[in-house]
Amino acid sequence: MEDKLTREEVLHVANLARIKLTEEEIEKYQVELKKLLTDVEKINEVEGYDDDILIACWDQNTELRKDVEGEMLDPKQVVENAPRHAGNYIEVPVVIGESEGA
Amino acid sequence: MSNYIPTIGVEVHVELKTKTKIFSNARNGYGQMANSLTNVIDLGYPGTLPTLNEEVINLAIRAATICNCKIQKVMHFDRKNYFYPDIPKNYQITQNDTPIGYDGYVEITKENGETKKVFIEEMHIEEDTCKSAHRKDKTLLDFNRAGVPLIEIVTKPCMSSGEEVKLYLEKLRELLSFGDISDCKIEEGSMRADVNVSIRKEEKDPLGVKAEIKNIGSISNAKLGVEKEIERQTKIYDRGETFKPQTRRFDDKVNDTILMRVKETGNDYRYFPEPDIPYVVITEEMIEEAKKGIPMLPDERRKKYTEKGILEANANKLVQNRSLSDFFNTLLEEEIDFKVASNILLGDISAYLNREEKEITETNLTKERFIELVKVYQEGTITSKNLKEMLDTILESKDSIQDIMKEIGIENISDDSELRNIIKEILKKNPESVSDYQNGHDRAIKFLMGQVMKETKGKANPRLANDILLEELKG
Repeated sequence: MEDKLTREEVLHVANLARIKLTEEEIEKYQVELKKLLTDVEKINEVEGYDDDILIACWDQNTELRKDVEGEMLDPKQVVENAPRHAGNYIEVPVVIGESEGA
Repeated sequence: MSNYIPTIGVEVHVELKTKTKIFSNARNGYGQMANSLTNVIDLGYPGTLPTLNEEVINLAIRAATICNCKIQKVMHFDRKNYFYPDIPKNYQITQNDTPIGYDGYVEITKENGETKKVFIEEMHIEEDTCKSAHRKDKTLLDFNRAGVPLIEIVTKPCMSSGEEVKLYLEKLRELLSFGDISDCKIEEGSMRADVNVSIRKEEKDPLGVKAEIKNIGSISNAKLGVEKEIERQTKIYDRGETFKPQTRRFDDKVNDTILMRVKETGNDYRYFPEPDIPYVVITEEMIEEAKKGIPMLPDERRKKYTEKGILEANANKLVQNRSLSDFFNTLLEEEIDFKVASNILLGDISAYLNREEKEITETNLTKERFIELVKVYQEGTITSKNLKEMLDTILESKDSIQDIMKEIGIENISDDSELRNIIKEILKKNPESVSDYQNGHDRAIKFLMGQVMKETKGKANPRLANDILLEELKG
């Protein structure tokens, strides 16, 4: 097994995290990320791990909320809490492309 | 162009008709001032925790039931991680492992009467993102939509034409809007469809390269978009070329699909279970409760109406107007002439509603007054001309039908002996017409009826006059 990640793998992770890396950092992370992954992979040695994954730290059911409207924020407050705004809108640097979500 | 086999799958997002958002108690609303419908949860402020809206689960179970899906008994939510300003938490809460509904189908009826099941792979719940508007040098965000509950319905790749896609979307919209699950207004974004299209030479071949068409503005555009995309892919393969998986959009100005981006790498969303919302257990009681809330669906409505003797075309028209159809449903147990009732509703009343841009619930027409109206019309006490004259008053005032008839001066001569004397006089004055009728010229009766109406200044009850006239002619 290789003891470090490829350059491309590191750059892919950096891209997902939206961070820029210097040449030195790329080389450093090739080794460090590989070590992290190897450590995390140890969890696979635990028997029955896949069968009953615990997703919360308690086993009770989710308490559901009634569909009743509550207090909302003042739009002025909302936009003033953002670093920049234009009228009632929160302003962010121009983003190219489409949302990846819903 | 060669013939290829198209394979199409559709993903539909619909916004649920709840009062509040999925994870916060801020209002779920549309068309309000930007950023006026939010709270700290929708904005992803640090330290806030989501609380799941019970009505979201209720409506999602209802949708899954209507679409014949199996329902997950124990489910959880997952985080879909990505960096984009439309979701300030940097993850969207969705369902990746345990969609609330799975293995369902919706049945469509093609033009030739043939039915086809469109299979539903899964139906999951998720939060909507905020709305971003791109300007030249900045992007503007409105969080009113952030946290609006959505269900995403994913079909299997089982459709093979634009027409099938259109029929599926129409059927889904009909089911979800009649199920009171969503408004399904494509123009307001409460129903959004993405279509995946690929083509291949033969059934035994693996599926071809996929193009996803996003941002489809209407159902007819979905059909057109699919057809244009099949054409485009066919031309590429015919030239012996190929293409990379990509996202396109349909532009109705150029009537073609346009490239948005090529998908170089697969999506890497690093899904993991949402730890802030523990398991959600769907009990039998919750499923029963949700099923109870399902109103009468379109297919059942159409069936009931045709059973009452209404023409199929009229039954379809009634179902197309939800509030008119709901009104009609209140009459189903009554002893009235349903044909007459449907004709009045779809004729003069619909014309009024269209003109005034109103729903029937916004008028003063009650079930009782409508039944009376149908009765006087059917008996011939009022003519269709009278109906037109009276209609605005009927819909706008609360007066009884009898009072309105008097007000606008409809005094029908419904007195048998009075009318009989008038008719006898007319027959005496028109011996030729009488003998024409007796010699088999049925048209003569129209002339004689005209004379009766002229003599009574249109006040004779037409049905009664017709009956007496026939009796006297035969006598």
